[in-house]
Amino acid sequence: MGSDMGLIVKTMARATIPLIGIFGAYVISHGHLTPGGGFQGGATIAGAGILFLIAFGINEAKEKINKSLYSALEGLGGLVFLAAGMLGLSVAFFYNTLWHNGPIFNGEPGTLLSAGYLPIMNLAVGLKVYTGLVSAVFAMALFRRWRK
Amino acid sequence: MIFTGFFYGAIAIALGAFITLIRIMLGPSVPDRVVGVDTLNTLIVAGMILLGAAYDRVIYIDIAIVYALLSYIGTLVIAKYLQGGLE
Repeated sequence: MGSDMGLIVKTMARATIPLIGIFGAYVISHGHLTPGGGFQGGATIAGAGILFLIAFGINEAKEKINKSLYSALEGLGGLVFLAAGMLGLSVAFFYNTLWHNGPIFNGEPGTLLSAGYLPIMNLAVGLKVYTGLVSAVFAMALFRRWRK
Repeated sequence: MIFTGFFYGAIAIALGAFITLIRIMLGPSVPDRVVGVDTLNTLIVAGMILLGAAYDRVIYIDIAIVYALLSYIGTLVIAKYLQGGLE
């Protein structure tokens, strides 16, 4: 009854965690083109964090997961979302000024660098959801009610 | 909708899923139900890919990939709980 799983699960986790992370980053960055977006991709990468916590045990995760860094990144995600909403404040709140006359993110519709502030908002929401879910799951795993 | 044979494949997968659901409902022990849920996850991934082919949409395959990755994590969490939990 150790703190981590067996050798097969650990090796499988070493192979699978980068795969889940890259696929979640794909879902986040293509949120305006394919199904998914910030929340779905963030929850997928949080699944990679849960797999790390399950496969390598709580002591290994306690060294890797920095509590204050994750808290700061969650706040940063919310601030970036709000800043992207305030970019076109001279016209209206949440006015998509990057799409109408911005320097970047105004390419042909259907390409990656299009849709104005939507990719920025997807990245912000993905960062916020990932750090929030990993922090919540890690806090629940550290919470000891039994045997002590 | 180019080839409706994919729908027959999806119906066959759904039939297998119903049989698996009977095992999940009747399973006498907890590991029986866990194995049933794991089988059901794989069958649902197969059904998603068949329906994505039947509706002729490539982007439906993304959802099947996410479901396959996350169902593995779910089964792993239940297995870890059954073997003694996170200590």
